[in-house]
Amino acid sequence: MALKLYVDRMSQPSRAILIFCKKNGIEFEEVKIDLAKGQHRTPDFAEVNPMKQVPAIVHGDFTLFESHAILIYLASAFPEVADHWYPADVRQRAKIHSVLDWHHSNLRRGSVGYIFNTIIALAFGLPLNPNAAAEGEKLLSASLATIESFWLEDGPFLLGNSQPSIADLALVCEVMQIEVADENDRERILGPHKRILKWIEDVKNATAPHFDDIHVIMSPTKERLKELKARVNKL
Amino acid sequence: MTLKVYADRMSQPSRTVILFCKLNGIDFEEVRIDLAKRQHLTPEFKEINPMKQVPAIVDGRFKLFESHAILIYLAGVFPGVADHWYPADVFKRAKIHSVLDWYHSNLRLGSAAYVRNSTLAPLLGLPLNPKAAAEGEKLLLASLVQLESVWLKGKGRFLLGSSQPSIADLSLACGVMHLEILDDEDRDRILGPHKRVLKWIEDTRIATRPHFDEVHSIVFKLKEKLKKQRSKENDFGESESIRKAPLHSKM
Repeated sequence: MALKLYVDRMSQPSRAILIFCKKNGIEFEEVKIDLAKGQHRTPDFAEVNPMKQVPAIVHGDFTLFESHAILIYLASAFPEVADHWYPADVRQRAKIHSVLDWHHSNLRRGSVGYIFNTIIALAFGLPLNPNAAAEGEKLLSASLATIESFWLEDGPFLLGNSQPSIADLALVCEVMQIEVADENDRERILGPHKRILKWIEDVKNATAPHFDDIHVIMSPTKERLKELKARVNKL
Repeated sequence: MTLKVYADRMSQPSRTVILFCKLNGIDFEEVRIDLAKRQHLTPEFKEINPMKQVPAIVDGRFKLFESHAILIYLAGVFPGVADHWYPADVFKRAKIHSVLDWYHSNLRLGSAAYVRNSTLAPLLGLPLNPKAAAEGEKLLLASLVQLESVWLKGKGRFLLGSSQPSIADLSLACGVMHLEILDDEDRDRILGPHKRVLKWIEDTRIATRPHFDEVHSIVFKLKEKLKKQRSKENDFGESESIRKAPLHSKM
């Protein structure tokens, strides 16, 4: 049964799914849905995901969207996926659901709020929004602090786990989005959080070489956005 | 040791967890954490949930928060919970996760923001915020459209074309019921056009009675309390429409 991943590597949850599949040797076809070109708004893609968002998957005749649902589905449907990604134990699993849910309203919301309104909006021809960015940064910083003090408390991975779960992938890919922001901003926001930086490194090593492969897009995107911002500022 | 559910019935996800337990005959002790009295900010409650939010549960020594995680956990550990609440089938389960995830950033976010910032805030000791209410309303309206056109598509009475309710129906129906806190004009304006949603709420209510009504009685009490508060503020007997927050003035 063929698996198609509809993704844009600029989308954090898209990256989490790509890394997960590659690490677990799950065969798939990557279908690029270029967000900056508006390909998520085509009628064809609406057939795959009426919410017009990436990532989305088609597995045989089964379609699914929302990255956490996808990660759980893939972990369950492919027997080769090791247990630590989505443990069978009901309590361990519950904790993973808990952090994935927390993520929506905290790290995800803060990160998107900050990074979209500080830089990424330009790629969509939209104006930057310093007020929304400031609100986003506040939530992002609070979320990073909570991850350090609570979710990573007994580390190396989230929830005191000695091996990564789908939650580590989802959240680390979100934190990585800040790599497209200006260095000073990145340093200000991420720099103080040594525990977070170590955790990113641990997840990277646990999923090597795929983590770096999938994140190769970040650096050239950062440069492109930098140029775009400079051009916009000149106007 | 009995399951403890830390809740404030003013919180929609708290109501969902309580409803699920009652429906499935799960024995539990309801521990009220009064949000208006700031009990969620006490050091004692921080031990239960460091995120300082309700609902949270303690099952033996196992602590858990986030209502969807709690619903899934309860469905998994309590025997006698019928399969349709959280099916074993991996495809059905995936679709349930999908709608529960969508809910966070759409219907839940919009309805909570709109209800709190246009209406409920005073009962929580907070100021109203018309700007945040307007943003919430926009998201809420878009979410109701998606609820009808995507999640309620299909022949079944419930979400995802199903003929029986799942935890997704419980969570989302409770989310829509949160709008009953609003005054009648607001509620009718927002929900009135969505006949399919209203039918689904009714189907969910029927499938889960009498517990659905019992759990939601507080919503109607809050509505009355807020109504009385608003008319008390109207010392000069001006009509309510004049006193409404500017964002939807009828003038």
